[in-house]
Order: sequence, then structure tokens, then C-alpha cells
Amino acid sequence: MLFSSVPFLYYFLPCVFAVYFLVPMRWKNAVLLLASLFFYAWGEPKFIVFMLVSIVQGYAFGRLVEKYQADRRRARLFLTLSVIFSLGLLGYCKYADFFLSGFNALTGLRLPLLHVALPIGISFYTFQILSYVVDVYRGEVEAQRNFIDLAAYVAMFPQLIAGPIVRYADIAAQLEQRTHTLSDIAAGARRFVLGLGKKVLLANVFFELITAFKASSDRSVLFYWLYAVACVLNIYFDFSGYSDMAISLGRIFGFRYLENFDYPYISASITEFWRRWHMSLGSWFRDYVYIPLGGNRVSKAKWLRNILVVWLLTGLWHGAAWNFVLWGLFFAVFLTAEKLWYGRALAKTHILKHLYVLLLVIVSFVLFDAASVRGAVSTIGGLFGAAGVSAVDPASLYYLRSFAAVLLVGIVGATPLPKRAVEKLCATRAGSVAVALLEPLALVVILAVSTGYLVDGSFNPFLYFRF
Amino acid sequence: MNKKLKNIVTVALLAAFLFGFGAWAALKPADALSFSERRKLKQRPTISVSSVLSGKFMSDFEDYALDQFPLRDEWRTLKALNSLYVYRQKDNNGVYLADGYAAKLEYPLNENSVAHAAERFRFLYESYLKESGSKVYLSVIPDKNYFLAEANGYPAIDYKALVTSLREQTDFAQYIDLFGELSLEDYYHTDSHWRQEKLPAVASYLARQMGVTLTDEYTEQMLERPYYGVYYGYAALPMQPDELRYLTSETLESCTVYNYETDKTGAVYDMQKAKGNDLYEVFLSGPISLLTIENPNAESERELIVFRDSFASSLAPLLAEGYAKITLADIRYLPAVQMGKLLDFHGQDVLFLYSAAVLNNSDTLK
Repeated sequence: MLFSSVPFLYYFLPCVFAVYFLVPMRWKNAVLLLASLFFYAWGEPKFIVFMLVSIVQGYAFGRLVEKYQADRRRARLFLTLSVIFSLGLLGYCKYADFFLSGFNALTGLRLPLLHVALPIGISFYTFQILSYVVDVYRGEVEAQRNFIDLAAYVAMFPQLIAGPIVRYADIAAQLEQRTHTLSDIAAGARRFVLGLGKKVLLANVFFELITAFKASSDRSVLFYWLYAVACVLNIYFDFSGYSDMAISLGRIFGFRYLENFDYPYISASITEFWRRWHMSLGSWFRDYVYIPLGGNRVSKAKWLRNILVVWLLTGLWHGAAWNFVLWGLFFAVFLTAEKLWYGRALAKTHILKHLYVLLLVIVSFVLFDAASVRGAVSTIGGLFGAAGVSAVDPASLYYLRSFAAVLLVGIVGATPLPKRAVEKLCATRAGSVAVALLEPLALVVILAVSTGYLVDGSFNPFLYFRF
Repeated sequence: MNKKLKNIVTVALLAAFLFGFGAWAALKPADALSFSERRKLKQRPTISVSSVLSGKFMSDFEDYALDQFPLRDEWRTLKALNSLYVYRQKDNNGVYLADGYAAKLEYPLNENSVAHAAERFRFLYESYLKESGSKVYLSVIPDKNYFLAEANGYPAIDYKALVTSLREQTDFAQYIDLFGELSLEDYYHTDSHWRQEKLPAVASYLARQMGVTLTDEYTEQMLERPYYGVYYGYAALPMQPDELRYLTSETLESCTVYNYETDKTGAVYDMQKAKGNDLYEVFLSGPISLLTIENPNAESERELIVFRDSFASSLAPLLAEGYAKITLADIRYLPAVQMGKLLDFHGQDVLFLYSAAVLNNSDTLK
């Protein structure tokens, strides 16, 4: 079920809110678990078994790891078994055909592909279970004794299928005891509507431009750039909109999830970009791959290896295809180069550092969005007028005129400017009163217009569902 | 307003919205039809173990929830207004408004589609017409974009290239150029089609090119109900409906129409359709794969076969005066390969009459 869908907003959510806030605290996790299982089964009725089995193994191995905490060899064995199970399932579902086709291409054999359907959200819940068992092994958290509480943590519908990746350590205490306040519920509701608006009123509209570009055989340099900018904005508003909705729903239910985006497009370096983009994934790889490999406190060769491994895995996490592998390595190259060569010099520039980040991010997301590496190369070439592409054509001029306003809204909306403007307004008495009066109405308008877009049946699926 | 009050108002308003429309959606009786979209609306799906396990129940329910959401048309209008007047987008769902007309973007020229249409026409020619002694004609009907698009800053297909390409691939047919015979006023404001009451001169010109003279005078009639064309539903914007007028004459009143699908004979204008969703179906009962118009008072035994799309439904009756029998065949619904089983080709005039929009999206031609 999609957050930005009529069944979720007007059937599922009111029912869950009503039941959740009516039952006493001791039943709330069970209500969330049941609601989450229903939510997951709505989209993936058969694959719910994969998730339940993963939760059971995470629960069992977490308990075993804790039980044998004093016997490190045995604890490590149970940890290893859990990791093998988690990664084995993820590997089978997500990467089997990728590796089989690679093997076939290398050897000339024709091993049949498995054509396994990818269960929604498996990358997210697998990483949550992995981090939980590892944290228990490290002694950073206690194993959860209550199966319902652990299952509610893993399956919690706000973050189940597109993140953010929530660490058990961050919400362990809230699973036991949490408060529900009016200010939290209001803040959650406010952010949920804004997230919905980001997804429905911006990301989906940018996707229309992407679709028009892909459907067109007449492409000019202008059209390539329109596509690339739409791509960058679409991915940001799609994913950050979803994260906003996830974090805000968590807050309504009394949980505090960590932030996942912090205006990444204002970054002054690729290093900073990855501190602001999909923060929960970046910190996961840092804490569970990069640092265990030695981080940067090793020889230069090993440090380079560590970076390479992390970004190879980051690329692969996003999808079992070569363009995702290259996408990850693309960032590895520039992150390394910034650290080794020009990072300090770049920081001293004013405009150049932002243009540098934006150009690289645009190229990276064209690669990310491409159906194949060849397609990505062709599109990136088109951005720079390769193959004699004309500068403009009637279609690109039309789409520029048609999408100019919404692109401008998107570009400004991807910066902290609107937030700062509201804060500045609120600093004055009159402005504060105006914002207080208009904000609830503006939220209703955003919800209403979003509903209009949903009822009209615009394109909707979230990009990150495929991960 | 203090912070607590603001929070209360925010939560109350949003909760009222979600719970209010949620309850309304759950309790509202399902509508059978959408008048503006001219289609049946999804009904609440029945639940079963197999439909749940296959996911069919869920996808059907999502369709149902969208179709039956309270105030559906108003929500769609809200979206259209936001697209056009807040985002300043030039079209909504591919439909744009210009000079008081709604039109659907048709761009770019699809050469493969034109080639497919030409291949289908050639198949008909080679299979049935080549040895029959028929005179074969071809004509392309410009869609509204021809008159509206470029003048209003919208991309349009290269009509000259379309016609040239089609003609080059159908050298067996004599081309009749209708582009100069039509203007924007000959089309409905809210629909893709042309207006029959504007077509007598076009019909005379077409007939003349095929060696037939038309002299009939017509009386204009009008349906009582307003005509909301297909773009009215697409655009979801408040637009004035059209009036649907049709032409009558003694010749047309004496003509009979035989419908191969229903095996029934009726009149040129199907007044049952005047009660339906699409009033344009009054003309020859709408999308029928094969039918004939017989004119008992024709002055000659001359016959015409028209391979056509829906534009011919309103035009063909105006040609009836010049022919004893007109056959209208639509290869979107009846594959070309089956025509020989149903029709006898014996030297009739043959006209391929297609709109530019269908030629540019010809994958429906079988």
C-alpha cells in the first residue's frame, strides 16, 4: 500500500489511528504490528512469509547471541548464522539473477535465471534486523524478549518499505514506554501533509516530465537537461517526501526516528552531500561496514579498499544492475579525490563548489535512472550535445514552458529558503500570527490538492520501493 | 493564536478531513457511471481467498476507492485547476485549452505508426481490391491540433510529412486533400470529432473528387441534451458543453442501416444513443465494426466502401445520396484479414478515410 494513495489515506490510516489511540499502552505495539502486517500483506500477500521468517530468525539469534555473550566464539557463531540468513535471503531475492547473468557472461555458460520477484522493503527490513543482531552482539543493546515488540520494530509500517533505516538502539526504549502528546501529533500531522505534498504535488509532476522525455524520440540538449533536472528533483522529493511521511507517522505514534535528508542539494562537496542524503543508509554502512573494516585508521591502500567496498555495496544496495554499481563507484571516486587532492581547495571557492556538486549529482542521477549503462552514457552525452543533438526543438521548448513554474518551485523547495522565510516571518509578531492562522488552512489545502491528484490517477509508485 | 491552540486546530482540521472523507467514502453508495468520463465505475470487489492471495482484491479495491471517492469530479477539477493555473502547465492529462477549444496533444509524428497504417491499407488493397476493378481513394482528416497547436505554442505533428509519407506508401490510392476544406469551427469544442452540420461542403467536395455529385439540402436538428465531448472528461475543467446537431433530408430518412454486429436494420441516426454517455454515437450507432447504409432512392447502382474511423460516422450519411449502398468497415474492431469473408468486392469505389490522430497511433488497426 502506498502512503500516497486513497486506500491508505482514507481507509487504512483513519482505522489505525482510531484503534491505536483507543487501546491502552500495553496493546499499542500489538496494534501497530497487526496494522503493519496488514499494510505489508496488502501489497505483498505472499512475501509476508519472508518478512516473518526474517523477524523470527532475528529474534531467535538475538536471544542466543545475548545468552552466550560471555562465550564470544559461540556468540559470534550465532551472529554469523543470522548474518548469513539475512544476507542469504536478500542475496537470493535481489541479486541471484544479477550474479547468474554475470557468471554466464564471464564463462559463456547458460545457467538458467531464477526470476525471483523482489519482496518490497526487503533491503530495509534486512538491514534493520542485521543492525539489531550486531548491536546485541556488540553489547550496545539488550536482546528484545517480547517477540511482538521486536516484530513491531521491524515491521512498523511507517518505515517498513522505504525507510528510513531505523536502528533498534534508537527506539528500543520507546518500544517499551512512550508518550503521545498533542504537540507531537500536530508536528507529525503537519510534516506528514508536507511530505505527501512533496511526493504528490512535486515528485509525481516531475515524473510526468521524465516520462515525456523517455517517450519522445525527438530530443534536444535542452530536453536532456530538462530531463536531468526533473530526475534530480523527482528522486529528492520522492524519497525525502516518503521519509517525511515515515518520520511524521512515527512521531504521531510516539517514536522519534532520526532524520534522513538535510537539504542535500545545497552541499559544497560530495562528502557533504552524502552526509545530507539518505543519512540512515550512509550511517548504517559507516557503522556496520566501513568502521569494522578499519575505517580511515588503516594504511592508505586499506582505506581506499574500505571506501571502494562501502560504495560498491551502496550501489548494489540500490539495485542489482551495473548502472547502480557504477553509480556507487562514481561517488567513491569523487569522495576519494576530494579527500586526497582538491577537497580543501574546493572549499575555498564560493559558487564553484556548489556547481561542482550539482553537476556531479545530476550526472549520477542520470546514471541512477538509466535502464542500462549504455542508456546512461547516451543520455549523459546528450546533456553535452553529443551525436549532433540539436540545442532546442519545439517539444523541449514546450515542456520548458509547461514545467517552468513547477521546476522553480522544486528548485527553491529543495533549499532551506522556504523554511528560513517562514522562520523569519515568525520572528515578527504580525508574521507569527499570520503563520499561526494560515498554517492549518495551508495544510488542508495541500491535503486537498494532493487528494485531487490522487483521485485523478496520476502516476504514483515510490522509487525506493524497488530497493 | 498560541501554540497549543494552533496544534489543536491543525490536528482537528486534518483529522476531520481524513476521518470525514474516509467515512463518506466507506458509507457512500457506489455510483454506476461517470458521466463526465463516459465510463462505468469500478464496483466494490468481492473478497475471496484466491483474490487476496493473488493480490487481485487489493488492486481492484484501489481502483474502486479511486473511482468511488466522494466528489470525484470536483477533485479532478481541483487538480486540473492547480495544473493549469497554479503550476501554469500548458496541458492537463495531455489536453489543453486554446481559443475556447479543448484538444489533445498529438506529438511527435510517429513514422512507424504511419507505416503500419499504410501496410494495413496495402494489405486490403492487395487482398481484395487489386483485381476487383475498384477505384481507390485516400483521405486524411486533420485533427484539431492542425488548427490550434502551433498558433498557441503547442507542439504539433508535421502534417505535411504525415500525408507525404502515407501517400508514398499507398501509391495505389488517389489522394483527396481535405485540409483546405476544413477549419477549426468545423469541430466540437469539447470533443475530438467534427460537427456534422458543418460537413455538407466537405462531403460534396469528397464526392466530387470521386466522381459523384451531391445536391441534397438538409434540415438541421438538435439533441436536447448538452453534448459533453471526450475532452470534457479528460480536461476535468469547467467548460461549456457543445450542442449536437444532425442533418436530415428525405434521402436520409429513407436510408436503412444494417448493423453486422447485431444483425439488425435501423435508421441513420440511432436515437437510443441520445440517452447514452456519448451523444456522438447517434451517428450510425457509434463504434461498429461493419455496417451498410442502403439508399433505396439512389439514382445509380454505384456503391462505396469506406475503411474508416469514427469521423466517418457523421460524414458517411452525407454521401448516401450519391450511392445505392455505402459499406463502412472499421479494421480497429474487425481485422483486415476477415474482410473477405464478410464483404464481396466487385468494383465499388473504395475510400480510406482516417483522422491524423488515428494514423499517428495506428497500433489499433488490425
